[in-house]
Amino acid sequence: MKFLVVDDFSTMRRIIKNLLNDLGYQDVTEADDGATALPMLQAGNFDFLITDWNMPGMPGLDLLKAVRADAKLAKMPVLMLTAEAKREQIVEAAQAGVNGYVIKPFTAVTLKEKIDKILDARK
Amino acid sequence: MSTIEELRETYGALLHTLKSALDKGDEPAFLEQLDNLVNVRERSLCTELRKLTRDLQNSLERFSLDSRLIDLAEKEVPDARQRLDHVLKLTDEAAHKTMDLVEQSGPLAERTAKEAADLNVMWRRFRAREIAVSDFRIMLERMDAFLEAAQGDTETVRRNLAEVLLTQGYQDLTGQIIRGVMKLVTELEGTLVELVRLSTGTTVKETPAETKKSQGYGPAVPGVDHGVIVNGQQDVDALLSGLGM
Repeated sequence: MKFLVVDDFSTMRRIIKNLLNDLGYQDVTEADDGATALPMLQAGNFDFLITDWNMPGMPGLDLLKAVRADAKLAKMPVLMLTAEAKREQIVEAAQAGVNGYVIKPFTAVTLKEKIDKILDARK
Repeated sequence: MSTIEELRETYGALLHTLKSALDKGDEPAFLEQLDNLVNVRERSLCTELRKLTRDLQNSLERFSLDSRLIDLAEKEVPDARQRLDHVLKLTDEAAHKTMDLVEQSGPLAERTAKEAADLNVMWRRFRAREIAVSDFRIMLERMDAFLEAAQGDTETVRRNLAEVLLTQGYQDLTGQIIRGVMKLVTELEGTLVELVRLSTGTTVKETPAETKKSQGYGPAVPGVDHGVIVNGQQDVDALLSGLGM
C-alpha cells in the first residue's frame, strides 16, 4: 500500500512515516503542501493520503477538494491529521469528503484505528 | 502678508475695473468683470474644499489605523503573549516527557547489557568445557531468567522509543503557534509604519497579506481561541459519527 504524507513540518512527516513503518506500511512518500502533493498524486499510484490542514501554499482542505474533484483521484481515502480543532472546520472537512479526522497531538493507537477503519470500510 | 492684504491683492484690481465699468455704464465690460470676480472666488473655494477633503481622508485613514492599533494592543498582543506561554508549556512538557522516557529506558538497556555480559563469560567457560556442574546449573537458571526479562525490557524500550518519536510532534504544534505570532508582529509593524507615513507623508503603504479562511487557524490555545473547539479525539469522533461517518 502506497501512502502520501503531506505536512509542512518535516518533523511531523518523519513521525507519521515512522509510525506507518511500525504498522507495516513501508511505502511512504512525503510532500510539504497541497500544491506539491497534487501533481504527485496525479502522477503516482498512491493508495492513501494523509494530510495536514494548515499549510502555506495549498492548505489541506483545498487539497482534499482538489482530490475529490479529480475523476482519477476522487475515490482515494483521505485522512486529515491536523491541529485544527474548530467544530465548523471538522464539519467542513466532512462535507468536503474526508474519510477520517485525527486531531494533533495524537497517539499511535488512534492513527492505526483510523487507518484500519477507513481500509475496512473499503473492503 | 495679512489676510486683508491678500484679499486686496487678489480682488483689488478686479473691483477697480468693475467699478469703473459701472461708472462708465459699460454693461458688457461690467458683466465680464463680474464673471471674472466670481471665477476667482470659486477657484479659491475649490482649493479650500480640496484641502478639507484631503484632511478628512487623512483623519479617517488615521482613525481606522488607530482603531486597528487599539485592537492589536488591547487584544491581540496579550493573546500573543498567551500563545507564547502555551508554546513554553508545550516545549517544557515535551522535553520532560522525552527525558522521562529516556531515563526509564536507560536502566533497562543497562540491565540487559550487564546480564548478557555476565552470561557471556559463563557461556564461554561452558564452550571451553571449563565449567563446573553446579555453575552450569546456575547458568541455565540465569539464562532462563535473562531471556524472559530481556524480552520484556526490550519491548518496553521499543515502546518508549516510539513514544519519544511521537512526543516530537510538539515542534509542529509550537511552530504553527509561533508562525501565527510572527504574522501578528508583521501586521503590527505594518500598522506602525503606516501611522508614520500618515504623520510624515513619506513612507509607502504596505498591506499585510490576507489569510484565506481555508488556510486554517493553527492549534487551539487555551484562553485565546473563542470559536467552538473540540476537546480531543473523542469529541471529533462523536461529531463525525453524528454526521453519519
